[in-house]
Amino acid sequence: MSDPITPEVFAHLVHLAALELSAEEGEYVRRQLNNQLKAIRELEAIPLESDLTGSSHGVPYTAQNSPALRPDEWAPYPDVAELLAQVPQLEDRYIIVPDIPHTTLD
Amino acid sequence: MELCDLSAFEMVRLLRARKASAGELLESALRRIDTVDGRPGTLDAGEITAADRQHVHSFITLTAERARAQAAAVDRQLAAGEDPGLLAGVPVSIKDIFCVRGTPSTAASRILANFVAPYTAVAVERMEKAGAVVVGKANLDEFTYGSSNESSAFQPSPRNPWDLTRVPGGSSGGSATSVAAGEVALSLGTDTAGSIRQPAAFCGVVGLKPTYGRVPRYGLIAFGSSLDCPGPLARTVTDAALMLQVIAGPDPHDSTAAAVLVDDYLAALERGVKGLRIGLSPDYFQISFPDPLTGEYHAQLVPAEIEAPVRRAAQLLRELGAEIIEDVPMPNTRYGIPAYFVISRVEAASNLHRFDGVKYGHRTAQPVRDLTEMYRKTRGEGFGAQPKLRILMGMYVSAAQYSEQYYRRALQVRTLIRQDFDEAFDPNGKYRLNALLTPTTPTPAFELGAVYGDSVLMQYADQLTVPANHAGVPGISIPAGLDGQGLPLSIQLLGPDFSEASLLRIGRSYEQATAGDAWRTHKPAVLRA
Amino acid sequence: MTEYEVIIGLETHIQLNTTTKVFCSCKADSWIDLPNSNICPVCCGLPGVLPVLNRAVVEKATLLAEAMHAETRPLSYFDRKNYFYPDLPKGFQISQFDMSIAKGGFLDLPMPQGYTRHVGIWKLHIEEDAGKTVNQHGRRLIDFNRCGVPLVEMVTAPDLRTSDEAAQYLIRLRQLLRWLGVSEADMEKGHLRCDANVSIRLKGSTQLNTKTEIKNVNSIDAVKNAIEKEAERQMREVEAGRRIEAWTLEWDEDRGVLRKMRSKETEADYRYFREPDLLPIRLDAQWKQAILQNLPELPLVRRRRFVEQVGLPEYDADILTSERNLSDYFESAVLAYGGDPKKVSNWLMNDVLRKLNESGRDAGQLRLTPAYLADILKLIDAGTINNNTGKALLEKVEASGKTPAQIVAEEGLAKVSDDSAIRSVCQEVLAESAKEVAAYRAGKLTLMGWFVGQVMKKMRGKADAALARGILEELLQ
Repeated sequence: MSDPITPEVFAHLVHLAALELSAEEGEYVRRQLNNQLKAIRELEAIPLESDLTGSSHGVPYTAQNSPALRPDEWAPYPDVAELLAQVPQLEDRYIIVPDIPHTTLD
Repeated sequence: MELCDLSAFEMVRLLRARKASAGELLESALRRIDTVDGRPGTLDAGEITAADRQHVHSFITLTAERARAQAAAVDRQLAAGEDPGLLAGVPVSIKDIFCVRGTPSTAASRILANFVAPYTAVAVERMEKAGAVVVGKANLDEFTYGSSNESSAFQPSPRNPWDLTRVPGGSSGGSATSVAAGEVALSLGTDTAGSIRQPAAFCGVVGLKPTYGRVPRYGLIAFGSSLDCPGPLARTVTDAALMLQVIAGPDPHDSTAAAVLVDDYLAALERGVKGLRIGLSPDYFQISFPDPLTGEYHAQLVPAEIEAPVRRAAQLLRELGAEIIEDVPMPNTRYGIPAYFVISRVEAASNLHRFDGVKYGHRTAQPVRDLTEMYRKTRGEGFGAQPKLRILMGMYVSAAQYSEQYYRRALQVRTLIRQDFDEAFDPNGKYRLNALLTPTTPTPAFELGAVYGDSVLMQYADQLTVPANHAGVPGISIPAGLDGQGLPLSIQLLGPDFSEASLLRIGRSYEQATAGDAWRTHKPAVLRA
Repeated sequence: MTEYEVIIGLETHIQLNTTTKVFCSCKADSWIDLPNSNICPVCCGLPGVLPVLNRAVVEKATLLAEAMHAETRPLSYFDRKNYFYPDLPKGFQISQFDMSIAKGGFLDLPMPQGYTRHVGIWKLHIEEDAGKTVNQHGRRLIDFNRCGVPLVEMVTAPDLRTSDEAAQYLIRLRQLLRWLGVSEADMEKGHLRCDANVSIRLKGSTQLNTKTEIKNVNSIDAVKNAIEKEAERQMREVEAGRRIEAWTLEWDEDRGVLRKMRSKETEADYRYFREPDLLPIRLDAQWKQAILQNLPELPLVRRRRFVEQVGLPEYDADILTSERNLSDYFESAVLAYGGDPKKVSNWLMNDVLRKLNESGRDAGQLRLTPAYLADILKLIDAGTINNNTGKALLEKVEASGKTPAQIVAEEGLAKVSDDSAIRSVCQEVLAESAKEVAAYRAGKLTLMGWFVGQVMKKMRGKADAALARGILEELLQ
């Protein structure tokens, strides 16, 4: 069976993921993805009832062991300045980024 | 024996008896690091030198000054007659996947190389409040993606203290090496598919993956949100229990941290194994590997040297009064890796979306036309191959046209894997086990570079550990010997939800029963010189 | 001439008025704050953070679902909606996809033309808001203050048929949200945001054709105008033999035109999956019951009761159920008064409402409480004061906060009904107005009003006017 992740599919995935890869890295990654898919195909052969519920967590959460919800009480974060200190480009308290490609046509 | 080679339990005892100070404990650790560690991991490290090859390289960032202040505070508290906590003065390392305020918290990735965490993870905070002294941030596979620590963007990556040509395992490689080499007594790692247990096994230390939700994840840079578990690496079972006591318990910042009371792990430790039912499963003595050419899966038995310690442990535990139940079926074990490929990648791709250069971390310095280009270049430059692999696979298997076939199915397989454990541990079922005894890894530590390029083979290193992550159950890896080449061998115990006290107790019994084993007198190669 | 039918569906995002955000303890309202000041690691999507659900969000969403006649689910789930945008710090929005907090529901719109439009609700779910971006010469300025504000998204079925109906939907929805106390629903502040889906079809057809989506409509008028313009455009296109394409359009408020936004080449694949960092919402019967204790009688139900049982005309009932504080005020006043509710409604709708509109307050903020209004009406009924004095009393009570009885006593406002006192003043007035007396006797009977006025003036308004009139008539014979 030929590789499901063709160079075209791969390029599309890279685009969706907002990534950039060199040609060499790209080829390596694409090959690995197809190899991994072979492992993943093992899932298809497993006999299971179609209505078997999937589990988002292994450990079951019940009303008893689930933590309570948060009360609606304001607690201002004390170190906002430290958060903003991590911003690559900050001006007048705004985070600056380049514009988004935008075509408005009439 | 150097202070730094003592167990954490012993260190605290000495401290409280005023026979050693926190300052002395720390200096001993720093001296050891100075001797064995070599240069810490850095970006653009250049060639690996001959000198590099002789050292362990556990750390990305050493926090010596910060540690000295912490040690001084502990000593002051002691002098003032205050209780400095359960981990008073103990030098520890923190896997650099945890945010620790004021320290570079890099996830071993270029994309966070310049990120200084503005807050501290809950698990780390608990350790620090208990008096632990954080010596440094331990190296790891980039974003915890790997089983050898080789993928770190911060090189040299850690080397196995037992044989410096071999990997320490991963992703908590630096955590395991720092403990094995006596640089610290305890380390906080994370386990998503075996990332605590497997490097613990490769490095001959104890590694505990708690039940999912036992230890809060707030501050843990996420990989697989439904799989990640913070947990201890230590040289003894008692030390693992001590550390778990400090970090376990719910927290208002984590909605998945179960509201379940924390046991007294230390109190239960010496109770022995009389009457406990411990199972062995043929499904854990079998491993599968994909044929690199055909992609076909070949099932084979685990190597004899991997099976032997497990069989021996069963015998010892039987002699101590446990009941050993053979042939416990765990038929869905073999689907653990395929399901993991899907579930973990979907979660990882989503968790990595936030690294976009907008508000923290790396932003490309190259000129860009627009925001989209900024995203691409930032993420292209910032992420290594392993994150890119996981992101792209995650995008693929969660795409609308495939999610039914892959993602939904994988979640169903997870239910099946969980059912294996439910049936084995059901108190009214056929087996009624307190624990399952298995090998931890299919092989001992492999050579650096031997597996790295093959991402499937690398993932399959986790096939005996990952089922516990799917099911959420706790697991502990305990050193059980050395193989013909002097490499560590281990056994693994898996138990029902929140049964850590029971696993620790069994582990302690095993440890005591093998206290006189010859291999326990052997030291890692890096300490023999 | 081909007759077309316009099919409209509305998608609204409602900002809940909880104190804090949906997944962290920052404030929900930061309208006046400096940029990036109302933030924390969680709502900024820092590495390692986790969401924790605000209890009050579930409570307000449940009230809204109930008021929309939707069925709440005992277990509902959060999902991640993944996409890249600079105002979305995590790169995904925590929302609800297939198992949202409620399903079904409807809102009935009584239209002024006399019919009622029944609007089905297709989706009702909880989600978190994104931040704000501002354009500035080829750059974007990002403010995370609004990240994580709790929203309820409601999507109607394509049941609306005119732009008026669409406007009416928003008016009723806004009224309901304020009535329930779950949102301030101020469209100017973005508490209530609306996108409109528009398509057309031949009258009589039952199929649904390609629709366009109009975004960025920030007021009820804008919604009306944008829908009308788009419907016209679609009809023109179809008449000209062209196909309608599934465009996303932007409404330019200032120029009154629609603009095509960058078309979605493919429907964005958000790769929804269950949010692993959150547990399902457990809305058990006990909690739900506790929440619904706070569900008030809904405006349309009360409106019907006012008409059918209280006997108010529709117009009055409409006004007295338009806003909850006013409505509750009316009910309290009627209860305290015990007499004809129409008297209460008259006073409320004229004098009291005028006062409220002038001062911009709501009925709950008046010092003239419903009990005091009732007191004034009772004093008039008892003949203690006359109508004019009563109106003046409204002002005085509001200004001073004292009881009507207190003020009447302190200022001696009680009507003078003493015959002899009035009689002597009447005689005084007639004695001083010989010319007018002659004119009256000559046939100019309208002067009676003037005479009464003079008496009232002399008696500082306190005379019983009817009595004075009677005495004057007697004296003038």
